Amino acid sequence: MSIQNPKVDVSVATNSFPGVGARIWTRGLFLLAVGAPLLFFPAPARGQAAGAPQAAPSVVQTDIKLVIGGETIKKNSEGTLSVVGSSLQFATGKAKVEVKASSILDIFTNEDSRQDITGAAKLATMAIPYGGGRVLSLFSHGVEVLTLEFTDANGGYHGMVFVLPKGQGAPIKKQLVAMGAKASVPLAEPAPTNK
Amino acid sequence: MVGSLWGQPGDSKSAQKFSASSIQIEPMDSNDVPMPPEFRVAIYENLIAQIEKTGKFQHVYRSGDKDAASAPDLVTLRTTAQSFTKGSQKKREVTTVAGATSITLKVHITDHAGQTLVDRDVQGKVRFLGENLRATYDFSKKVATIIRNTF
Repeated sequence: MSIQNPKVDVSVATNSFPGVGARIWTRGLFLLAVGAPLLFFPAPARGQAAGAPQAAPSVVQTDIKLVIGGETIKKNSEGTLSVVGSSLQFATGKAKVEVKASSILDIFTNEDSRQDITGAAKLATMAIPYGGGRVLSLFSHGVEVLTLEFTDANGGYHGMVFVLPKGQGAPIKKQLVAMGAKASVPLAEPAPTNK
Repeated sequence: MVGSLWGQPGDSKSAQKFSASSIQIEPMDSNDVPMPPEFRVAIYENLIAQIEKTGKFQHVYRSGDKDAASAPDLVTLRTTAQSFTKGSQKKREVTTVAGATSITLKVHITDHAGQTLVDRDVQGKVRFLGENLRATYDFSKKVATIIRNTF
């Protein structure tokens, strides 16, 4: 056969070209100098990724109710609320609305009773015999209401109201404020859980 | 032209009707009446939806919309809070007599020259069934009726 066992003289390959070794060292130092800031300061790279259209959402909340203000989305629709790039997005299976953080005039979060806002009990509980519905009404869950006021591209004023599980509004508000949204009421420090 | 309505701002059914191709809706003036922000926003968004639904105007502009400046016969709707009582759906369902939510706002509509077309108090409430924010829907429906009777 024409192919035979090749013999490689390692000593020749590594030691007989001192100029090549110096170049490799130079390149290594150059790569180290360029790469070190990326290793120790990852924030700028993440910031660039957040500005890209396919940025991964930093905050995602599922099963959120949009009470009002969704333009193309019906009142009381459930969907996913997320902070993507520098925008707040609410998406249902059919439609999506997006609000840029910089266009937000004010954000409010406050806790309320689920029934006060969304009427979860509705007529179904009223139909329970022997006053069972009324008893059921006493067991409402704590929720948080997230209210946004913002302007569209034409300067028009809009508002949106979301209902989230208790404690979920603050991270969204915090993130939006960090991205340039305005808030007349500063984010409250989390209250102590044990009284 | 608008004199007949000025004298009887509350009696718009029998008054002369006005014509305008566009209306701009301003956010509610809270007038130092404490009201949760979600109610303010719900009032505004329900007003926009209900007034669009009347079909009386070619354009319903939101506050701050740049295009409204070029509308020749723009009328402006302003609302000012007069009172607010936040009830409780839980109380309504448990007691059936307590826990009503009620909002009263002054509704003020002016033409492009600033002359008053409508000036009256309108109340929205939810008394028996439904969530508290439904009071804002009730209010908006009543304002839409005023719009239908005025334009």
